[in-house]
Amino acid sequence: MNHNCTLRQRRLLLKNSAVGFGHLALMAMLGEEAKAERKQVASNNPLAPKPPHFPPRAKRIVFLFMKGGPSHVDTFDPKPMLTKYDGTPPPFDLPKVTFAKQGNLLKSPWKFHRRGQSGLPVSELFPHLSKHIDDLCILRSVHGTNPAHGGALLKIHTGSDQFVRPSMGSWITYGLGTENQNLPAFITICPTLAHGGVNNWGTAFLPAYCQGTPIGNASIPAAKAKVKHIQNDRIDLSLQRKQLDLISSMNHDHLKTVGENQSIEGRLNSFELAYRMQSSMPEAQDISQETSATQAMYGIDDAVTEDFGRQCLMARRFLERGVRYVQVTHSDSEVQWDQHSNLYQGHTKNATEVDKPIAGFLQDLKQRGLLDDTLVLWGGEFGRTPTSQGTNGRDHNPHGFTMWMAGAGVKGGYAYGATDDFGYYAIENKMHVNDLHATILHILGIDHERLTYRYASRDFRLTDLAGRVAKDILA
Amino acid sequence: MKITMSRVLCIILAVSTVSLTFSSRLSGEEKSGVGKAPAKIDAGHLKFFEKEVRPLLVKHCYDCHGDGETDGGLAIDSREGILQGGDSGKAIVPGKPEESLLIEAVRYKNEDMQMPPDGQLSQAEIDVLEKWIAIGAPDPREKKADSGQKPVMGMSVAEGKKFWSFMPVSNPPIPEVKNKSWVKTPIDAFILAKLEENGLSPAPRASKTTLIRRVTYDLIGLPPTPEQIDAFLADDSPDAFQKVVERLLNSPQYGVRWGRHWLDVARYADSNGLDENLAFGNAWRYRDYVIDSYNKDKPFDRFLIEQIAGDLLPEANRETITGTGFLVLGAKVLAEPDHDKLTMDTIDEQLEALGRAFLGMSFGCVRCHDHKFDPIKQSDYYALGAIFKGTKTFSDKKMGAIKLWHEHSFATKEELESLKKIDAEIAKKKSAASAFKTKATTKLRDEARRNATRYLVAATQFDTSAPLKRVREIAEPLGLHPRILHHCRLHLEFHRDDPFFVKWHELNVQGDAAGIRQYYEPLFKQAETAFVEARKKDPKTKKLDDPKLEPARAALYDLYGFLEVPAEPEFAFDQKTLKEYYRLMEEARVMESKAPDETAVMAVADGEVQEQLPIHIRGSHRNLGKPVAREFPQVMRTSLVRPVFRSDQSGRLELARWMASTTHPLTARVYVNRIWRWHFGEGIVKTTDNFGKLGAKPTHPELLDWLARRFMQTGWSTKQMHRLILSSNVYQMRSQIAGGEKTVNHPEKIDPENSLLWEFRIQRLEAEQLRDAVLAASGRLDTSLGGKTVPLRNRQFVFNHTSVDHTKYDSLRRAVYLPVIRNNLYTLFEQFDFPDPTTPTGNRNTTTVAPQALLMLNSPLIMDSADALAQMLLEQPISDIERISVAYRKTLGRRPTDLESKKAMYFIQGISELAMLDATQVDPVQKQRAWSLFCQALFSSNEFIYVR
Repeated sequence: MNHNCTLRQRRLLLKNSAVGFGHLALMAMLGEEAKAERKQVASNNPLAPKPPHFPPRAKRIVFLFMKGGPSHVDTFDPKPMLTKYDGTPPPFDLPKVTFAKQGNLLKSPWKFHRRGQSGLPVSELFPHLSKHIDDLCILRSVHGTNPAHGGALLKIHTGSDQFVRPSMGSWITYGLGTENQNLPAFITICPTLAHGGVNNWGTAFLPAYCQGTPIGNASIPAAKAKVKHIQNDRIDLSLQRKQLDLISSMNHDHLKTVGENQSIEGRLNSFELAYRMQSSMPEAQDISQETSATQAMYGIDDAVTEDFGRQCLMARRFLERGVRYVQVTHSDSEVQWDQHSNLYQGHTKNATEVDKPIAGFLQDLKQRGLLDDTLVLWGGEFGRTPTSQGTNGRDHNPHGFTMWMAGAGVKGGYAYGATDDFGYYAIENKMHVNDLHATILHILGIDHERLTYRYASRDFRLTDLAGRVAKDILA
Repeated sequence: MKITMSRVLCIILAVSTVSLTFSSRLSGEEKSGVGKAPAKIDAGHLKFFEKEVRPLLVKHCYDCHGDGETDGGLAIDSREGILQGGDSGKAIVPGKPEESLLIEAVRYKNEDMQMPPDGQLSQAEIDVLEKWIAIGAPDPREKKADSGQKPVMGMSVAEGKKFWSFMPVSNPPIPEVKNKSWVKTPIDAFILAKLEENGLSPAPRASKTTLIRRVTYDLIGLPPTPEQIDAFLADDSPDAFQKVVERLLNSPQYGVRWGRHWLDVARYADSNGLDENLAFGNAWRYRDYVIDSYNKDKPFDRFLIEQIAGDLLPEANRETITGTGFLVLGAKVLAEPDHDKLTMDTIDEQLEALGRAFLGMSFGCVRCHDHKFDPIKQSDYYALGAIFKGTKTFSDKKMGAIKLWHEHSFATKEELESLKKIDAEIAKKKSAASAFKTKATTKLRDEARRNATRYLVAATQFDTSAPLKRVREIAEPLGLHPRILHHCRLHLEFHRDDPFFVKWHELNVQGDAAGIRQYYEPLFKQAETAFVEARKKDPKTKKLDDPKLEPARAALYDLYGFLEVPAEPEFAFDQKTLKEYYRLMEEARVMESKAPDETAVMAVADGEVQEQLPIHIRGSHRNLGKPVAREFPQVMRTSLVRPVFRSDQSGRLELARWMASTTHPLTARVYVNRIWRWHFGEGIVKTTDNFGKLGAKPTHPELLDWLARRFMQTGWSTKQMHRLILSSNVYQMRSQIAGGEKTVNHPEKIDPENSLLWEFRIQRLEAEQLRDAVLAASGRLDTSLGGKTVPLRNRQFVFNHTSVDHTKYDSLRRAVYLPVIRNNLYTLFEQFDFPDPTTPTGNRNTTTVAPQALLMLNSPLIMDSADALAQMLLEQPISDIERISVAYRKTLGRRPTDLESKKAMYFIQGISELAMLDATQVDPVQKQRAWSLFCQALFSSNEFIYVR
């Protein structure tokens, strides 16, 4: 009975089409201030904010993904023994399965310097970012399973390197909904279409509304990246409004003949939301609204750092508008961070492209107080071997590598876990990718064992049957 | 891999304890060993245990193997538990540390077994454990009273035999009903009986306009044309509807629609997806085979056998071999470096697919443990696994690290010859592009070398933090390459200790640019000259003997040194060079995309026959248990007499024939339920792919069995099932009716989900129906059948590292012929609930999200179609009111009401008048636009997308 009652109320609301929808749209735009009414808008909306399992440390998350696998022993995990034994065969057992043939130990071409109050070492690849070392929580013992890009990308994004499973962003959207109903809950900026592609932001069996919304892809410059079909290139919005009113009138006539039907009514709403998104998405992406000082902070004034800087600045704008999960991908058109050869050249180029933008991003988040409730995650799908491939490259290494977190909920200026003396295997406080996921969910107030979805006869989790929260890193 | 397996150890819960407890029960020896009271413990040993051993076990092991947790089947918190061991066997052998798994695990030497998983124990701790076992593992800990936790266990086979879906298909009587006049077919009786039982009555018959729209979308996936509607309305004969059904069943478009249903179940795709997205350039032959099979009404038992074992039939031919594509179409981790794992992963995918598709059973979870809910045992899984281990799914060919799937070639000698030439042409084009790149890069290198000193001098003018813009301002007037100069400065910074550049740093600090020139210029010049001379003498010269000049030469010729040319063409080359390079690349890509493929089908073949396969403990191919012989799952066996598998074949043919037998409890039930689902939008068993314990129970079990029997009686004919179902009154009921018109007994309160079918369910058009309907209504649809449509050569990368999407979806052919690219589905498909093409799906979702509306409002597909329809309307010499009527008939299959006509007219005029040329003349462009927006509104309307 209750159910019928709400349906009737809602239909009454919808009946006054123009007024009704205008009213709803206005309320949604007022955002925070119209919380009470917003709840009503959201009553039938699976994306409405949902309470976490326990008080969260962070409300939202941004993943700065370095595709290809940055080398941990050249960035955040210095290994003096590598320098000492440079050029000699590795004095330890190699894994049974490696991606390519392994050579001798190869020292890092970069020097490390202790930075900040914490005195944590950072290689000279990151002169800007190293100024923020006291905000970073360096995870030196991350490990995965898959030594190939495709499997490792899928593992880090979905928890599975064997099956198509929902991505981390989809799980988080499923668990928490989102704060802004005029923007997607889960946005991925310029993602790579290779190595798992859409599966890395896909919902698999979770409901469709949990799907990540891609803005462009890795082949499109950030300045030109857009959501598909977000604009009508033939008519302006006022003309489209007229057309929408006609559709709405047709649909209301139709509704009278079918009676109660949630999905048909839901479709009425979806057109209005789509109409609003056409304004809210470009607005959120419009970085020209930012001062030139802000743009410079992200390196947008420099061709080397412009593209990634734009992505980071867009990410900040999405985060501050309440988007739950934002991913930014650094993936150039050739080899990304995948330096099987020419480690020195490739990593120099890559690091230079992201160093200033990330430093600016952290600084900006901090200035705006966003870092207090936003979790920042940085890293690739695996690290690289301390042994050489060819003369001057490094192979894939999923057995121990570095990622870092910053912001809400984690200790700054802190290093967690360790790899062995040469940086091949994680040995101390090992953090499997499942553990990383469990920890991220924990920071967002979600118990990874309780965030489940029943599909094909069983309850699935992001962390499958594993996952331990790394409590030591929590602030 | 090191980590995988240690994870698995702690991942897999007590799930496979079934076989373990079983075996220990059988083994009297072990049992007595476990149960025996401990010998008295020496006081010193006791102290040692309490002081050294117990704290260590508590700290490092109890989280997963104590206090009720028994990961990997192992409890370590009692003497009994530790002696009994876990899935991998006994944890310790008292007195023999070297034979104890516990010691092996803590030593961290075996990649597959390392404990504790989050880091190795200290050597001192390991020593304690070794000592403890060496002295006989004295252990005073008694097993705690049973905490009530029982091993999780699925149904037993005996229980399973009594579960509804494993019972033989029954022969139910047709029920008696009160309202006899409503019963036209036995289906009506089964449905009506349940309705009457619940005090409900069926909805009245739908109108003829509704019916023809419903059945046309249902059978061919297209809207009826106005002519077809008129003909049906004018036909008063009693078999008018039957005639429509026959016309549709005989249309080749029927196979397009119903073949697509099966393609959902077959997880059909034109690319591999997962890690390496290679084009399945020959998958289309399987797609056409499916469409053709539906058009031919191939008996379903035959259809099944062909897909599992078409290559093994005595009369095997191109068609039957094509069918086995079903087994090859799955997504595979093609670059998986561990080939044993890949083999087992692929078998797993095949078992999961055939289980879901044909039997409504999930075999996937049985890989690691007995099914938690259904009576499927791990031994069943590996008995089936043996059949597929003896099947060849991969080709012997490889592409670098990428393994390729197996194909069966039908190519003639001549064809292979001509393909060789084409391959050579493509290789030539590709190498032309790379040669061009190499040449251009070499040119840049030579230039940079000539300007070496100038780079070093210019590098003094900025520091490493300077943006590229600034570097460009310095470089360009000097004729230097900005990116090289930028890199040069970074290189100097990172190589402060390089003796060759020490001088540069010294002079740079002093601001002495001239000094840098004076120091390096002669050095470079001499080194170059000496090198040229040396090479004249011996062209193989690699180094100079002069210790002063050699560092200069080395620096100049180091490809990755201070003069390194960027590897990215867009950074290295000028616009002209870049354009040419891209042109050459594109030429090679286009040539490859368009090149013909070898005439071949994705198909399996028999490999090395496996009479048996060991059970993989916890699913690990590195932890093998007892071998099991080829067999069918125990709970589904219909005869006590066990099959004899040919020793020279994989066993797929025996498997397929068993699955397709009339005595199999699942096959016919699962398939007729699929047909029912595709007609009514919901199955009699709602979970079409799961007939197990966690699946839904049938709402009408007797009807399901009756249909399954009837299906087999009519020779497994799909079309006969259509005829039967479509002629029923159940199919011809009205769909949702607004509140007031509903019958007095309020069915929506008694059965709100309409599970009993008191009215026909409104259904939203599926992605393909929606697209094809828009194209059909606007006269743009191309209904030709078959052929290759994916614009990629077989095994070509869909995406390389560049993420550029070359796949186009602008073809006007029916949607079934659009490429299905895993990892990057066509936007329209993705948004309108096209199923994940890696998993068999018989029950598509219907979700409503805002991006669907964006697509209706802004996509070229919809806008172009609206334009075409508008143009067609305007070209006809009829009045505007008549035009509106034609538009309604083409899109919604009915005439508009007067009010609707008026509203449409008002809208069209309102927009046209925004652009009057003068008092009477409307700008024709604007007029066309107005009509187009109106047509688009019809496409976007709910009435268009919801079929009743």
